[in-house]
Amino acid sequence: MAHPLTPEQSLQVIESMIAQAKKSFSRASFYFLLWGVLLMAAMVATYLLRHVSPAFDHGAPWGIAGFLGGIISAAHSIRQGRREVVTSPMDRIIGWTWSAFVITMLLVIVCSVALKRDPGPMITVLTGLPTFLTGQIMRFRPLILGGILFWVVGVVMQFTGDPLIITVLYCTAMLLGYIVPGLLLKNRENGIRSA
Amino acid sequence: MGFAPLDPILHNQLRLAIVSLLVSVDEADFNFLLEGTGATRGNLSVQITKLKEAGYITVKKSFKANYPNTACTLSAKGLKAFEDYVEAIKGYLSA
Repeated sequence: MAHPLTPEQSLQVIESMIAQAKKSFSRASFYFLLWGVLLMAAMVATYLLRHVSPAFDHGAPWGIAGFLGGIISAAHSIRQGRREVVTSPMDRIIGWTWSAFVITMLLVIVCSVALKRDPGPMITVLTGLPTFLTGQIMRFRPLILGGILFWVVGVVMQFTGDPLIITVLYCTAMLLGYIVPGLLLKNRENGIRSA
Repeated sequence: MGFAPLDPILHNQLRLAIVSLLVSVDEADFNFLLEGTGATRGNLSVQITKLKEAGYITVKKSFKANYPNTACTLSAKGLKAFEDYVEAIKGYLSA
């Protein structure tokens, strides 16, 4: 360390340290897996409950999923924050993207309920935005494709009246847009952790 | 053509490594820098203090999960010095 550096050595130090810092990226797989499973379960529960009793208030499974997901996500985020040794601009941008999505989603739900409209298709379209952006920011193709899938499925849901088709489409979007990318992301994170 | 002088604060392997790591992140704690640079705790601590005294980084000491935590951030002065250093190095390499 005490020897004077040559310009080549200086450049090597800079390049290797920047590459080292790039290794640390947001551990986002947990959230995709959690929300993917919860929202898929809420959709299936809504379909089944409406099938059994057409008068059922179909907002309840979504409320339960949202409440559970919110609590678990917050607890995980606090625990993760305690362990995190570095904060990158990428983590910050992804965090704000999802915060903006949650705020917009809540406003869409309030407006839709007030207008007696089903918020599902619009929220599905909206879900495409943060998913697509997260994929682009992380340069992770499965999430980019997942985002595009949410856009397509949301539009199709808007024009489909059949509850079974809507349920199948939504669950497919959750599986391919959240759960599969979440599992692939988890593998990538584990690979980096052990590198 | 004369060569631009190299900043003596940055022209040290460990200090250059610390600043290079901080260029890519918003904030990094002591353990991240320790792992990234492969330095010893004592040496890293000394070089962090030198960078802090030069005004190249800011150091925030706090507690994280009941343990003392040192978080480092590159300052605007540090970023400018790093950019100037990289330009100077480019001059040497292209000569």
